[in-house]
Amino acid sequence: MTGFKIIPRSQSSFLAQLLVPVAAIVLTLLAGSVFFTLLGKSPLASFYAFFIEPLTSRYGIGEVLLKMGPLLLIAQGLAIGFRARVWNIGAEGQLLLGAIAAGAIALQFELSDSVWLLPSMILAGTLAGAGWAAIAAFLRTRFNANEILVTFMLSSIALQLLYYLVSGPLRDPMGMSFPQSAMFGDAAMFSPLLSGTRVNTSLFLGLVATLLAWIFVQRSMPGYKLLVSGLAPGAAGYAGFAANRAVWLGLLIGGAAAGMAGVAEVAGPLGLLQRNISPGYGFAAIIVAFLGGLHPIGIVFAAFFMALIYVGGDMSLVSVGLPNASTTIFQGMLLVFYLACYLFVNHRIQRQVASGTVASAEVGGSDADHTGSGATGHA
Amino acid sequence: MLDSLVFVLAGTLAAATPLILAAMGELVVEKSGVLNLSIEGMMATGAATGFVVATQTDSTVAGFAMAALAAMLLSLIFAILALGFLASQVATGLAVGILGLGVSVLIGKDFEGTTIKPLEKVDLGFLSDLPLLGEVLFAQDVVVYLGIASVVLVSFVLNRTKLGLVIRAVGESPEAANSIGYPVLLVRTCAIAFGGAMAGLGGAHLTLSYTPLWAEGLVAGRGWIVVALVVFGTWQAPRIAIGAYLFGAVSLIELFVQGQGFAIPSQLMSAMPYIITIVVLAAISRNPRVVRLNYPASLGLPYLRSE
Amino acid sequence: MKSLLKNAVFKFRRLSWRDPAGLLAAGVLLLGLSVNAVAADKLKIGYIYPSPVGDVGWAYELDRGRQAIEAEFGDQVESIVVENIPEGPDAARIMNQFAAEGAKMIMLGSFGYMNDGLKLAKRYPDIKIIHASGYKLADNMGNFQTRNYESAYVAGMSAGYVTKSNTIGMVAAYAIPEVVGIINAFTLGAQSVNPDVTMKVVWLNSWFDPSKAQESARSLIAQQSDVIFSIYQDTPSVVTVAEEEGVYVVNTSSDMKKYAPKHLLGSMQISWKNHFIEQTRAVLDGSFKGIAYWGGMAEGAVSMESWSDDLTAEQVAALNAKITDITDGKFHPFTGPITGQDNKVMIAEGETISDPDLLGISWLVKGVETKLPK
Repeated sequence: MTGFKIIPRSQSSFLAQLLVPVAAIVLTLLAGSVFFTLLGKSPLASFYAFFIEPLTSRYGIGEVLLKMGPLLLIAQGLAIGFRARVWNIGAEGQLLLGAIAAGAIALQFELSDSVWLLPSMILAGTLAGAGWAAIAAFLRTRFNANEILVTFMLSSIALQLLYYLVSGPLRDPMGMSFPQSAMFGDAAMFSPLLSGTRVNTSLFLGLVATLLAWIFVQRSMPGYKLLVSGLAPGAAGYAGFAANRAVWLGLLIGGAAAGMAGVAEVAGPLGLLQRNISPGYGFAAIIVAFLGGLHPIGIVFAAFFMALIYVGGDMSLVSVGLPNASTTIFQGMLLVFYLACYLFVNHRIQRQVASGTVASAEVGGSDADHTGSGATGHA
Repeated sequence: MLDSLVFVLAGTLAAATPLILAAMGELVVEKSGVLNLSIEGMMATGAATGFVVATQTDSTVAGFAMAALAAMLLSLIFAILALGFLASQVATGLAVGILGLGVSVLIGKDFEGTTIKPLEKVDLGFLSDLPLLGEVLFAQDVVVYLGIASVVLVSFVLNRTKLGLVIRAVGESPEAANSIGYPVLLVRTCAIAFGGAMAGLGGAHLTLSYTPLWAEGLVAGRGWIVVALVVFGTWQAPRIAIGAYLFGAVSLIELFVQGQGFAIPSQLMSAMPYIITIVVLAAISRNPRVVRLNYPASLGLPYLRSE
Repeated sequence: MKSLLKNAVFKFRRLSWRDPAGLLAAGVLLLGLSVNAVAADKLKIGYIYPSPVGDVGWAYELDRGRQAIEAEFGDQVESIVVENIPEGPDAARIMNQFAAEGAKMIMLGSFGYMNDGLKLAKRYPDIKIIHASGYKLADNMGNFQTRNYESAYVAGMSAGYVTKSNTIGMVAAYAIPEVVGIINAFTLGAQSVNPDVTMKVVWLNSWFDPSKAQESARSLIAQQSDVIFSIYQDTPSVVTVAEEEGVYVVNTSSDMKKYAPKHLLGSMQISWKNHFIEQTRAVLDGSFKGIAYWGGMAEGAVSMESWSDDLTAEQVAALNAKITDITDGKFHPFTGPITGQDNKVMIAEGETISDPDLLGISWLVKGVETKLPK
């Protein structure tokens, strides 16, 4: 055996939680400078484009906030489920359903200038997102179907549904048969927040969600306790009632948040329904949730950082001439390093002087426990 | 009519091959208790690497070999994170998948939209000349047969050999496997590496035989279909292969039907594999006995060796 | 100014990570330099393409237009090219980044950039925009399209000559008017030399799906098509299948002779060269106006390339004669009588379709077996 051993901490290390993102970023910068040099680009100019350039102009800041909105909203919703080990990886589909529902209302009342139009779109989108996630919750609680797979496949179905609607029933009759809807009326749009930018009032949805998530988690509301205990291994996992409640709660909250984010996209920067609605927000938000340590405050920083990389990546295409794929690779590297560093939040590394003997006799007993809870947690 | 039948049947065998190769890899990975969601990225990396190497060296074999190697390297990043650093398998799979997609684009950048001479179809003399049967079964490229062989082999190894027993034991309960002396991490690492290599081969079959060209986004969601197929086939190799053939046939029949002038929304056809998989998943999960029989109980859970 | 920035950046590359003060200084300097480092004497032109440039196809032809501008104006212009940008909310950011980098002219390479382009045009009246295949205009935003139906008619004639099964298969992207017009013109051309020809269409619902395009081509071949018409596929996917299966193929946008040396019947080449140079000159001399450009054979925007050797000398002569007639304005492919799929007369005898009607065409001619997707 090697001279090191991984030992679980009895309590997550707060310090490690703060240091992990920093370490991941530093490692990414180091690996990134090698990567950019290999591409024949100046690492400094590349980093400047990625991290600083977006923040040097009003427009750039607006873009970062615009991109941050949906990431923040979805990640807050997902993190609540993730903490309870409910793996909703289909936020992309729930987002699309939210967008479709809101879009259908906006198109139905195209000429309306009612102040209630946008709120009803938000409500419909939120419900649609939650409803799409509810399918997975139902199949999990009723038939025991793994929610990772179901939520994922529902995303693929949602995409086809969107394709069908924009090239059929919701297509703009005056739009030359292009697969997209008519533009929404002004009453169906979020109003701009900062002049000269695209950021709009939907950003508040993300901030309110953060506040709610923080209260929910920090105040340890009964619902949250139930949620976490419901699927915790070794706890009352076999009590089907609590587990089912946790699955429902986790998926519905995540779906509702994603649906709301879908509304914000179509009633914000897009202003219509088209085939291309989300540049993968639903998947990126999973990463944001983990990057933020599944903590409401951490997620705010993670969402901001992720948005910065996205916007910076787009800017670097123009200003440094980096290839499109470099943003993708840069994000991938960041995540990989982050996930590696995250080990230290819940574990510590102990140096062993000499390799000890394996006490296998004791292990047998605790194994049985683990196996039991694992099966209930996942099958 | 005969031509159409040949088109659908022969096309199905070819179209299903990348899926089968990658799915056999993922099956072994999941049987060992690990959920690797980065298949899309690994297939893309294999597709680009295989194409570039085969173009440069004029050797298809070298292309396939390097494709397997490149995707395997990528899968080892996953293994290090998920096994060594105990990172969430879902998050790690997504992260490595993103990385792989980016890498594939960079590798294939100078070859975007170019073509290559496709892998030769085998010629089995009179067998290949048989009407219908010959054209469908005996005039495919050699990788199609390798794909079928991999189903038999994986099925045999998992169910009939000591190695398979170890893999399944590790997937069932790593703690118990560890206590009787199986090297859990080693088994899982090898399984992940095998899964990576197979995904790489699947990707390379796309660019070196099926399409045969490289273009960004060529894998087009096949990696995710592979994840679905493994579930659809309830973690049994032959059923997964049948699923892959069904999927291939459905997508080809869609095009055929369109040409005939029937109007079924193509989006419904495209969504069909996912809808069917969800239904199947619900049906099999409902019966705990079936699930317990094939479902790797520790799938997706982190494992820390306790001493 | 630009070279100064490059120089500065180059120097920073040699800075060490272990030198925090140097790094800080570098950062501050970079901050100062980066804000609108514009060369006053050059016209910066931003180009945004929806797909990778590659070797053939839509983005490749747009990029050839860019090269023509650079060849024509040399040092007067400078290009910023960004490829493979999806038609989503992120495209607007690229456009604005062009503006921030000091671009005074922007080429938007896809329909889906239209609404964001219009917003940009309103925000920056001094930036001139040309947009591919859209229909919205502004004083400083024009759009451009080609009259591909002209070359499609002639290509259809060639297909009508060579088909033995009298079945022609088409692999098409979306059922937008431009594609519908191409299908109709191709069919009319084929019928003009071979009245028994019928057409089958597979709609891909994608600009870019090489493997599905190939599967579609194979399915059409299996259904007795012996000529395949590949409409707006950005890769040689369909063309290579045709070569492999030994059926004739016609393709759009670029010449793909090298991918099907034996079985390419002809290529409907497009060229943005003349239009791009004209528009750049207008921007340079300050006379730019947002116009809708619809270039055909007369403008040198569309042409036929690489006729197959299998066509007889008489056939090629007839094809070239038709090209001359179209170029001279003596013949319009949509001249009545033209019957629709449901046997209704869509264009009466002696009449010719108007440009607005053709721009919005949403019906297929008789002889096309497949219906438009609903």
